[in-house]
Amino acid sequence: MLIDRTQRGWGLGSLGIFAAALVMYFLEAWIAPQGPRGGSAMGLIFGVVGFAFMIFAAALGARKRVPTWRIGRAKAWMRGHLWLGLLSLPLVLFHGGFHFGGTLTRVLMWLLIATVASGVYGAALQNSIPKKMTADIPLETIYDEISHVRKLLREEADRTVESICGDVGFAKDVSGESQRAGGFTALRPIAASAAPLRTSAAVSAGASAAVAPAAEIILLSEAESAPLRKFYIEEMRPYLEQSKSRGRRLADEARASSVFVSLRTLLPAAAHNTLADLEDICDEARQLLRQERLHRWLHGWLLLHIPLSLALILLGAVHAVMALRY
Amino acid sequence: MARTRTTKTVAQRIDLNYFKRPTPFKRAKLWLAILAPAIALVWIGWHVLGRDNRVYSSGRLSEAHAVLEKECAACHVQQAGGYSASAADSACLACHDGPVHHATNVNVTLACADCHVEHRGRVNLVATKNESCGQCHGDLSTADRDSRYFKHIRTFADGHPEFAALRPIAGVPASDTGTIKLNHAMHMRLIRRGPSGPMVQLDCVTCHATGATNPNLTYSDAKYRAANVSYKDSDVVLQIPQESLQGPRPITGRELMTPPKFANACAGCHLLTFDKRSDAGVPHDKPQVIHAYLVKKFSEYVASHGAELHEVQDPQRHLTGRANGPVRRALSPAQWVAERVAVSEELLWHKTCSQCHAISMTPLQDVRIARWDAGNAHGATRITSSLTGNVHESGAATLPEVAAANITLQWLPQSRFDHDAHRGFSCIGCHQNALTSTETLDILIPGIATCQKCHAPGPEHTESRCFECHTYHDWAKRKEVKPTFTLPALRSTGK
Repeated sequence: MLIDRTQRGWGLGSLGIFAAALVMYFLEAWIAPQGPRGGSAMGLIFGVVGFAFMIFAAALGARKRVPTWRIGRAKAWMRGHLWLGLLSLPLVLFHGGFHFGGTLTRVLMWLLIATVASGVYGAALQNSIPKKMTADIPLETIYDEISHVRKLLREEADRTVESICGDVGFAKDVSGESQRAGGFTALRPIAASAAPLRTSAAVSAGASAAVAPAAEIILLSEAESAPLRKFYIEEMRPYLEQSKSRGRRLADEARASSVFVSLRTLLPAAAHNTLADLEDICDEARQLLRQERLHRWLHGWLLLHIPLSLALILLGAVHAVMALRY
Repeated sequence: MARTRTTKTVAQRIDLNYFKRPTPFKRAKLWLAILAPAIALVWIGWHVLGRDNRVYSSGRLSEAHAVLEKECAACHVQQAGGYSASAADSACLACHDGPVHHATNVNVTLACADCHVEHRGRVNLVATKNESCGQCHGDLSTADRDSRYFKHIRTFADGHPEFAALRPIAGVPASDTGTIKLNHAMHMRLIRRGPSGPMVQLDCVTCHATGATNPNLTYSDAKYRAANVSYKDSDVVLQIPQESLQGPRPITGRELMTPPKFANACAGCHLLTFDKRSDAGVPHDKPQVIHAYLVKKFSEYVASHGAELHEVQDPQRHLTGRANGPVRRALSPAQWVAERVAVSEELLWHKTCSQCHAISMTPLQDVRIARWDAGNAHGATRITSSLTGNVHESGAATLPEVAAANITLQWLPQSRFDHDAHRGFSCIGCHQNALTSTETLDILIPGIATCQKCHAPGPEHTESRCFECHTYHDWAKRKEVKPTFTLPALRSTGK
C-alpha cells in the first residue's frame, strides 16, 4: 500500500494518539513515585490499548481470507493495520516503562520490535519496488505463473529455431498451447522494428495490421544455420530452461545484445527476423527473472512478519492472563 | 515474422486457477505461520508442565531475594477461591518487619511495594527512589501539618536544608555544646610536646580515630589506657535523641569517630604531674578519685621521708606586704599530707585540669599554705579530717565540679554517615575549619555543600538518593519474625 496523501487522516490520527499517549506517559513518570509500571492503572491502559491494536492489525489476515465480509473496505483495514500496528510499539513500550522485564515479556518485546520493524520495512518496499517493477519490467506477468510462462517461452523459441533450421530434435508439446507462449503470435506480423506492444493503442495497431499477408518462411541450409543451432543449443536453450543460474551472458542485457549482433553478421538476412524473435524471447525471460527477484524482495518479509505476529498475539494473550494473576 | 503481443494472448497463457495452486512461497508462509505460534505454544507449555512460573516473571529479583527466584509462591500467595496471586505486604512482613516511619504523624498508608519495587533486576531493594520519600517530604504540610522538619524536600539537591547542627537558632550561630577546651588551630601547627619536649606536628589521626581502629595512637599513654576510671564513656558523650531513626544494620564501629580520650590522644603531651616529689601524674578521673590518690601518695611518701616534717621557710616564698610565718616549723604527718594535697589540688584544679575542662573553681589556698598559716586553711582542715576517715563525705562538699564533656558523637543524628566509606579522602578536605578554629564553640563538621560536591545526580557523581543517609523504618520498633524457609528445602525444590 502506498503511503501517500490519502493516508493523511490515518497519519494525523495516529500522531494524535501517540502524542496523547506520550503526554500521559510523562505525567505518569512525573507523578508515580516508582515511575511508569505495567501494573499501574495507566500502565494497564497502555497495555490493553496496545494489545488491542496488535489484535486489530493481526485481524487483517482473517479479513483478507474472507473478502466478502461487509466489515469495512479492505483499504481501510490495510491502513488501520499499518498505523495502529505501528502505534502498538510505543504504547507497549509505555506500558512497560521501557523495561523489557522477565523472560516472557522480553520475548514479547523483541517479537513486537521484530514484527513492527519487518512491517515498516515491508511498507517501505511496497512503496518503492512496484514503481521500479512497472518501469523496469514491461512484460511483467503473474508471479505464480512465471515458471509456466518461461516453459512456454522455451517451446516458442524451439519452434522459432526449427522454423528456419529444420528439425533440430526438440521434444514437441502437443497440448495445443504452444501458440500462447509469451502472449505472442507469429501469424500476424507487424513491422519488423515494432517495439513490444502493451498499450491498447499498440494492440489496436497490431489488430489493424493483422490483414497483412504472412511472410514467406525460408529454411536455411545446414551450413548457414550452424551458428544459430550452436548458439541456441549451447547457450540460449539452457538459459531459458535454467535462467536462474548465474554467469550466463544472456542474463545481462548489454552482453546479450552484442551476442545477437554478432549472430546477425554470421547469418543470412533471411534469418534476421527469427533472430529478432529469439532476442525478444531472451529479453522477456530476463524480465521475468528480474520480476522474480523483485517479487521476493517485495513479499519475502512476510515470511518473517506473519509468523512473528501470530506468535506475538499468542504469547501476548498468555502474558495478559498471567500478569493479571500476579 | 515478428512476435506480436496482444491482451488476449497474454491472458490465454495464464491459468485462471493459478491462485488455487500452492507455490513454494505460499507453502513457506503457511508453514511458518503454523510453526512460529506452535513453537511459542510448546515453549509456554514446557514451562507450564514443569510448573516453572519464572517465565511469567516481570524481571529478575533483587539481590536480597535472588534466592527466591524459583519460589514465586513465597510472595505471590493465591487467596482462597480467587484468581489473583499478587504479592501482599503480609508476605514481606512474614520474613522481615518494617516498622512504620513516624507512625503517629504519617497519614498515608504505603504498601511495601510502593517503595521497594521488585522484579527490576539485581538491584539493591533498599535503594528506593527519591520520589518515594518525596511523596510526603516534597510537601510535608499535607502529610504532617505540624512537623518541625523542613516541609519541601524533594531530593538532596532540591530543598534539603543545611544540616541541623550547623543551622543558626533564632539568629544565633550554631555552636558546639562540648565543654572541652580545645584550640584546633594551635594543635594543627608545630607544637612543643610537653613542657620541655620536642616540637611535633600533629595530624588529625593523631587524636581522632574510629571506634574499630587501634586506639594505640601516637601520643597515647599505656598506663592511662590500662587504668580503670570511675566514669563511663556514655558520661562523656551526648546521647543521641530518642526520635532519631537509626539504620537496621549493626554498625561496624568505623562509621563514627570516637570521642578523643585523654589516655589515647592527650596523655602523651599533657602530663598530670602534681608535685616535684613524684614523676607520676594523677589519674584522669573525677576530683574525688584524684583527691584520694593524692592523699594516698603523700601519706606513703611521708611515711618513708620523715625528715620532710621539719621545714625551713623558703626565702623565695616571701610575699611583699604580708607577714611572714615562722622561719622553721615541725609538722605532724597528717598536717604535712594535708598541706601537700591542698597545694597539689590547687595546681591541678586551677591550671592542669582547667586547661581543658570547665571546672567550678575553689578559692586559692596555696598562698596561705606557703606562708605557713595553713592551720586556718580550709583545705588543710579538710584534709586532716579526711585522714581520719571522712574523706569522701567532707571532701566531696568542697571539691570542684568538672562539667560534663558533652562531646557530640553523632552530629547528624537523623542520618547515617560513614567515615570509613570516606577513608580515601583527607580529613582536612572536608573539615577545613579545623585549621583555623580556636574556639570550643566552633562546629567543625562540613556543611551540606561539601557533601553535595560528590553526592549529586548525574555522571561523575556518587549516590545522592535519600536512602544513602536516611532510613524510613523506625527500626527501634522492629519485631522479630518467625523463620519461614528451610535452607535445604529452598535450594532443592520450587519452581
